[in-house]
Amino acid sequence: MRRIYILALILILASLLFFTFYDLLHPTEFETDKTQISDYYIEHGVKETGAINLVTAILFDYRAFDTLGEATVIFIAVSAISLLATKERVLVSNTNFSPIVYQGISFIIPFLYILAFYLIFYGHLSPGGGFTGGVVIATTFVLLKMTFGIRYSREEKSLQRRSLIESCGAIGFIIVGILGIVRGDSFLANGQAGFDLGVAGQLLSAGIIPILNLFTGIKVGSGLAIIFHRLVREE
Amino acid sequence: MELPYVVVIILFYLGIYTIIMNKNLIKIVVGVNIVESSLILLLILISFKLGGTAPILDRKYELVVDPIPQALALTAIVIGGSLIAVMLALVIKIYKRYGTLNVDEIRKLRG
Repeated sequence: MRRIYILALILILASLLFFTFYDLLHPTEFETDKTQISDYYIEHGVKETGAINLVTAILFDYRAFDTLGEATVIFIAVSAISLLATKERVLVSNTNFSPIVYQGISFIIPFLYILAFYLIFYGHLSPGGGFTGGVVIATTFVLLKMTFGIRYSREEKSLQRRSLIESCGAIGFIIVGILGIVRGDSFLANGQAGFDLGVAGQLLSAGIIPILNLFTGIKVGSGLAIIFHRLVREE
Repeated sequence: MELPYVVVIILFYLGIYTIIMNKNLIKIVVGVNIVESSLILLLILISFKLGGTAPILDRKYELVVDPIPQALALTAIVIGGSLIAVMLALVIKIYKRYGTLNVDEIRKLRG
C-alpha cells in the first residue's frame, strides 16, 4: 500500500518537473536572452585569460575563487573521513594475483604518471586540467594498493607525507592568489594584475592558470589517495 | 519536448524512489549517486547547441557550446564524489557499531 502512495507522489512530482522543463524550453516573449555572459566569455575569454580552453579559463580565472572552495570541499571530506575511519591494523587483500597482473601494473604505472602530468600541464590547451589529472594520480595509488597490498606503501609515514603534500597544494594555491593582491589587484587576479599572458595556444601562456592547475592536481591527487587509503581498511 | 530531458526526469525520480524505498544503506547511497548523475546530465543538456563544437578555441569556429554549465558540472562532480566518500565512511562506521545495514533495525536498536 505504502509503495503505491510513494509511486503516485513521485509521478506527480515528475509531471511537475516535466512542465518546468517545458517552460524552460519554450520561453515566452517577455523573457530576455539568458546567455549574454557566456557570449562574453566566448568573445573575450581567450584575449583576457590567454587560455584557449574556455572551461579552464572560467574555472581558474573568472571563477578561481569558486575553485578554491571546491578544493576546500575535498580537504574537508578528507578530514571527515580521517576522523571517522578506525585506526586499527590493516589486512587488506591477501589474495595473490597471477604474475601477469603484477608485471602489467608495474609496467603501466609510469605511463599513468605521464598521462596525469600531461593532463595537468596542458589543462589550458586541451581537455583536462588539475582535477582530472589529480584523479589519474590517485588511480595509480589505488592500483598499487589493490595489487601489491598495503605493505608496499609504508602505512602511517606515507600517509603523513601525503597529507603534507596536500597542504602544500592548498597553500600554494592561496599564495598564488595573494600574489595578485601584492601586485595591486584583487585576489587570484590573472591578466589584470599584470601577469604575462603569453601567446594564446602555447604551453607557457595564460599567466597563473598552469600554476593553479598544478597545485590543484597535487591537492586532488593526494586527497583522493588519502580517502581511498582510509576507506580500504578492514577490522 | 526533447527526449533527453525526459531521460533526466526518469533518472532523477528513479534515484528518489531508490532513496525512499530501500532499507539498505548502501543502496540509499547508490540512489543519491543516481540523482547526482541526472543533474550532471541536465547541466550538459542545458549547454548543448546543435552543431556546436567544444569550447576550445584553437581554430576557426562557428558555434561553440556554452562553457559555463560545463565548468559547473565539474564542480558538481568533485563535490558529489567527496559527498559519496563521506557517506560511505559513515556507513562503514554504522555497520561496525550496529552490525547491520538495515535502516529499520538500526532504528529499533537505538530505541
